[in-house]
Amino acid sequence: MIGNDIIDLSLAKSESNWQRRGFLKKQFTENEQQLILAASNPFVLVWKLWSMKEAAYKVYVQQNELRFFAPKKFDCLLISENDGLVNFKSQTFYTSSIVTQDYIFTLGSTRKTTKAYTELVRPELIDIRIKSKLEDVTKFSASEIEQKKTTNRAPVYYYKNILLTKSCSISHHGNYGVFSLLYN
Amino acid sequence: MNKKELITSLKKIIKPYIQDQEAFKNLSEETDFINDLKINSANLVDVILDVEDEFDIEIDNKSMEKMLSVKAAIDIIETKLNKS
Repeated sequence: MIGNDIIDLSLAKSESNWQRRGFLKKQFTENEQQLILAASNPFVLVWKLWSMKEAAYKVYVQQNELRFFAPKKFDCLLISENDGLVNFKSQTFYTSSIVTQDYIFTLGSTRKTTKAYTELVRPELIDIRIKSKLEDVTKFSASEIEQKKTTNRAPVYYYKNILLTKSCSISHHGNYGVFSLLYN
Repeated sequence: MNKKELITSLKKIIKPYIQDQEAFKNLSEETDFINDLKINSANLVDVILDVEDEFDIEIDNKSMEKMLSVKAAIDIIETKLNKS
């Protein structure tokens, strides 16, 4: 299972104020708050940790029926510049992030290494690109590939009644869109 | 404050964060913040902090977990207001 998240940093700057009272305390563990406040660029770390939490949550909800909002319970550990672990309840999710000047992308997975295919696209082209990618891989015609949603609104792709994606995660924010696929 | 007044104040709070005007116009108790109003999940905490400020209540983590719809928000605000 995989889950992803993308953050348009210029939009994050204008949409949210991480320095507002309560913002860190409500969403980040004590340890994460300390890391953020000690960071050379706290803004970027806020959104990197947030994207790790969100990516892990998106993996978790594909396995479970309930939706909820509990970012603080997703406990992040940074193990290298790009890689991290997110612990939630008894589960560990493995994350890998890409931080650029413009966006932060995180892919979360139940496995340490994942074979997921990820592509960065303009938000309005996400669905079209997924279908054409699935056509390349499966040879089914893109025009006959359909997106459906699970009860938790996670996207899944079908050709007729054949499930093509084992796990699919879509994220868009501002100018950036991204999808990650695990083929069935 | 009755339920209608509560919904009116809540609407005022969430307005800056919504990305689906049509769903906002047709807002009811069943409206979902993320699925219907397309509020960015990163802004959910702003909604929660704004609710705390507006009603002078504290929304604990357990209540916050459920704050995904108008109905859940109203229930939580009512419970907290009755306690204070």
